[in-house]
Amino acid sequence: MITYIARRLLFLPVVLIGVTLMIFVAMSFLSPYQLVSTYIKSPEELKNQSLDDLVRKYGLDQPVHVRYVNWMRNLFRGDLGYSVSANMPVAEAIARRFPATVELALFAIVPVILGGIWLGTISAKHYNRPLDHLSRTFAIVGWSLPDFVFGLILLMVFYGVLGWFPPGRLSMWADSIVLTGDFTRYTGLNTVDALLNGRPDIFWDAVRHLIAPVMTLAYLWWAYLLRITRSSMLEVMNKDYVRTARAKGLTEQVVMGRHVRRNALIPVATVSGSMVLGLLGGVVIVETVFDYKGLGLLTATGAQQLDYTLVLGTTLFYGLLLVLINLVVDVLYAVIDPRVRLE
Amino acid sequence: MKTKVFSLIVLLLTLSLSVSVFAFDPETFVYVGGAGGPQTLDPAAAYDTASGEVIHHVYDNLFEYVGGDLDKIGPMLALEVPTVANGLMSEDGRTIRVPIRQGVKFHDGSELTAEDVKYSFVRGMLADPAGGPMWMFFEPLLGVQTMRDVIAMAGGPSDFAEIDEVDPAILRKAYDLIDATIEVDGNDIVFHLVDPYPPFINILAKGGSWSSIISKEWMAAQGDWDGNPDTWAKWYDLALEEMTLYDKANGTGPFRLDTWDKSGAQILLSRFDEYWRGPAQLKSAVIKNIPEFSTRLLMLRAGDADGIYVGQQELPQVRSIPNVAVVEGLPQVTNTVLFFSFTIPIEGNEDLVGSGKLDGNGIPSDFFADINVRKGFSYAFDFEAYLNEVALGAGEIPKGPFPQSLPYVNTDQEYFTHDLNKAAEYFKQAFDGEVWEKGFKVGIVYNTGNDARKTALEILEYNIERINPKFQVEVIGLEWATVLDRLRSASLPVFVMGWLMDFPDTHNFAVPFMHSSGTFAGFCGQGLIDLAKEQFDELIAAGIKATDPAEREKIYFELQKQYVDLAVGMPFMEATTHRVMRDWVEGFEYCPAYSAQYDLYYISKVQK
Repeated sequence: MITYIARRLLFLPVVLIGVTLMIFVAMSFLSPYQLVSTYIKSPEELKNQSLDDLVRKYGLDQPVHVRYVNWMRNLFRGDLGYSVSANMPVAEAIARRFPATVELALFAIVPVILGGIWLGTISAKHYNRPLDHLSRTFAIVGWSLPDFVFGLILLMVFYGVLGWFPPGRLSMWADSIVLTGDFTRYTGLNTVDALLNGRPDIFWDAVRHLIAPVMTLAYLWWAYLLRITRSSMLEVMNKDYVRTARAKGLTEQVVMGRHVRRNALIPVATVSGSMVLGLLGGVVIVETVFDYKGLGLLTATGAQQLDYTLVLGTTLFYGLLLVLINLVVDVLYAVIDPRVRLE
Repeated sequence: MKTKVFSLIVLLLTLSLSVSVFAFDPETFVYVGGAGGPQTLDPAAAYDTASGEVIHHVYDNLFEYVGGDLDKIGPMLALEVPTVANGLMSEDGRTIRVPIRQGVKFHDGSELTAEDVKYSFVRGMLADPAGGPMWMFFEPLLGVQTMRDVIAMAGGPSDFAEIDEVDPAILRKAYDLIDATIEVDGNDIVFHLVDPYPPFINILAKGGSWSSIISKEWMAAQGDWDGNPDTWAKWYDLALEEMTLYDKANGTGPFRLDTWDKSGAQILLSRFDEYWRGPAQLKSAVIKNIPEFSTRLLMLRAGDADGIYVGQQELPQVRSIPNVAVVEGLPQVTNTVLFFSFTIPIEGNEDLVGSGKLDGNGIPSDFFADINVRKGFSYAFDFEAYLNEVALGAGEIPKGPFPQSLPYVNTDQEYFTHDLNKAAEYFKQAFDGEVWEKGFKVGIVYNTGNDARKTALEILEYNIERINPKFQVEVIGLEWATVLDRLRSASLPVFVMGWLMDFPDTHNFAVPFMHSSGTFAGFCGQGLIDLAKEQFDELIAAGIKATDPAEREKIYFELQKQYVDLAVGMPFMEATTHRVMRDWVEGFEYCPAYSAQYDLYYISKVQK
């Protein structure tokens, strides 16, 4: 297994060079004056600007290969460059935004996975009966709803009408404490940092801001897990060993719990891995609607504004994340399924 | 177990309710914008509205507009407004003396001196970041546009790649040239202008973030330039984020900068209790940016935001919300113009110019160099329909390139009206009748995302195609980056852009629209540059040098008339603006020159 992991990790630089190279190749199709739009974001900002001065100042007229070599050289010194759209160095932008994304992912992943598996189990158990139809309809509606529509509905109800779950990551009063008071940032995760600082009020405020986006994500993704769990369970339920288990008089609970669900969970693990990856990569629309400043919003804004240093940095980061999470999923396979050997 | 979970949920919900009930905070003002956050907080570099918004509250200027009236300038950090009558301005308008107010404190507790005032402007000019606003000092003080020009004046090259390449002796000479333009005389500052420049006082007034007053001593303590004539080049044209004042501030304004929380896209300000006019009523303010309109609107409804940015198209959605005040029809000094490129490159531009010939399937390079074509387009546009249906009545139809709220604008100037017969007449004369006979096909461009501009072009398309079935107009949306790229090579035959004033003077519109080196002339091709050199440049130079108002009026009337007679471009909208706030906001004051949406110093909150 260790050789397997080492081999996969050795492959990592190749993946990273590949993706960044692709971005630079794509960039070579852009003229310096297209790239300068990063600095002049809208027609209203086009004042007494000499475009040529800006192009010269930021080296946008250099050939793409020169820029790639420069970028690589800086990368080896640990410098990912400066992001104009985020107003800070790329590394700092990722370091600040990623905890927000991790926090949302952590809070979302449990309800998403447990809820999805639970719904899938209900459907499979009550195959083709009203409860099956009901849970599938419920989940499929979530799957078909555009995320911004459902997000906005939740925001309107829970914030607009009830005033419970506001947008953003923290309320104004909490923000002013976190940003200016004697509040130590340990992890960047508001909930964890609040507890470590002994501020239950801020902890609760952070949770309050997480509930609506988590609900949105959960509802949208349940259908996906439901379908996987359901079909996989149905398949297993028809297997000979399940019939044997029933025949030898095991209770339904044991049959379902130990023999069916456990074996049916293997495809679910794969899907969950990609879900975690999706969550960690940031969920642009949900972040936009709930003004939740995470990595997804950062990357989307950067891409819109042709902020290529930021796009490169986040791509590199995603690449790293992708390889590592896939590796973890593979290792988890071996743990769940004794038949899988990593070689 | 279930009851426990249930009671926990009820407890949590009650808690959250109790938090939201106490949302009203009379001492904190929250403004939520939507068009993007600041680029920099450095007064020498900031040139966008969002940056100016923050700078407005943190720094003061020498002068301000009293009650928001552009015609009424009053002293701020200055003690008096210089005029020829009070002896502070010389007869020829070239020497301007400004006595500086005493006892004014910076946020760090130090006191304002005349030396700080001089440093503020000299440092800005020496730093001159590319694309920044400092040309507004170079032009009146030295008659040039950039620090590069000053180095060239001092005998150096203007096309150096790095400033280290320039001989230190020349850099010193360049410094001396700048240093000589501003003199400290006791508690006074004396400006020496190269030529008279009537709006110079406007450039120094509030609203001009570039003329904010900073502290020399504090800057030096932060490791920035300390006034040494031989070291300034180290801070010349740095990247925005490398400049000291990029995200730090020490001004004399009513609010101090607590933090610019970049990852949260918000700025936290707190009251400066030792403000020379007395402390503000608000204790703190937050300026946030949330691109999603629905989220902003919900925050306003919930009372978490006191004021939000609402686009013109979204205004009908907020008019009837209880407890929300909408102030409409606020005048702006701005215009939106349909531009024509006089010399369009053909190669690589086929999506817009088709065949590149006058054969009914395209347009030739000099299509819009024919005045009849430009007039045909201008008379085809339905100005009223745009104003009423698209802009929803929020504005005025222009009378030329200069907004009518400025001085020296002839409001009786005859202007284009929607008249398809007249348009047809001009099209029949264009290219000796060839245009009418063969027809044309042209792509006209807006930047995607700007729906109002798209509709303006569609109005034009509809009307032109009605004139002659051989006329084909295609409205094309391009990404802003592509628009910028193609503007650079004057490749867009027809495009729409707006201009928001830097300072309220006709000159600030004459240069970008009509001067051969103006912002838009470069985008309209050599044909317009040649025309401008021949017809406008001299008049524009005379207009800004003239000190006699009657003479200035004559010159700008003439420029306005020529612009319309020659149909150089087609200004079609002078938009007004609006504010959307909670009705508990009191003391709202408006000035068209200010970037700040709310002048927080005068704002207070009173729950109704």
